[in-house]
Amino acid sequence: MCVLALLSKGDNYAYDIASRMAEAVGMGEGTIYPLMRRMQNDGLVSTYLQESGSGPPRKYYKLTKAGAGALKSQITDWLAFEVAVRKILGDVT
Amino acid sequence: MNRANFIAQLRAGLSGLHQSDVNDIIADYESHFADGVAAGRSEDEVAEALGDPSRLARELRAEVGFKRWEQDRSAGNFVGVVLALIGLATIDVMFLLPVLGVMLAVFFVIALACVGCVVGGAILLGNLIPGGWTLMMGNTALQTLTGIGLVSGGIGAGALLLLILDWVARGLIQYARLHFRLFKSANDSI
Repeated sequence: MCVLALLSKGDNYAYDIASRMAEAVGMGEGTIYPLMRRMQNDGLVSTYLQESGSGPPRKYYKLTKAGAGALKSQITDWLAFEVAVRKILGDVT
Repeated sequence: MNRANFIAQLRAGLSGLHQSDVNDIIADYESHFADGVAAGRSEDEVAEALGDPSRLARELRAEVGFKRWEQDRSAGNFVGVVLALIGLATIDVMFLLPVLGVMLAVFFVIALACVGCVVGGAILLGNLIPGGWTLMMGNTALQTLTGIGLVSGGIGAGALLLLILDWVARGLIQYARLHFRLFKSANDSI
């Protein structure tokens, strides 16, 4: 979900996504590649190559229409979940 | 662990996949190292942050195997899916193995029977060609109908079998993804 959200703000390449995710939630950077591959298989993201300032062209990931739809429904689910958890926590404290 | 070690372990874990898939994956990680070093990190740091290469290889192998199957439903790719599932080595998949084995055997036998029907029917039909061998069943009409029935039945059953095999593979893939997600702690909610 977070990866889809990052991509919704603009196309990006895996290294940048991985380091942002690692910084934000402590995810192992290497897992981004299997994850991107799966999302690609599921048609949530597409890739294209773009020349970079230095070195070989970079593989950029782009959110597809299906990916945008998936993000929307995941955000709805997440917010509902958050409300439910907060309700329970509110009872405790 | 440095870059060369990491890549070597990853490559070892991916051995047996199509060369183009392996190269594609290795290129991803090579560029990750290049980006990391450009950002001022050492190779060891980057490798550390990436995690265990053999574990990554198992996950990648599964994704690639599933994708191959979705693109091309050949016997080799079915074996790939099964191997990938074994590679994930979740207890549930181990539990499934005997069931899978029996199913594969049954599929194989039915496939053989289908081929047998088609071949048998074809022989009966070919037998009708005038000037050939003597009729096997005495009655021309009967032999024609039996031959056509066997051939079309064999082809029909074979097609049905492929359809079922496709369903089974899709089911397995869904199952594995679901379980693998649970095993991978919070990673996938990300």
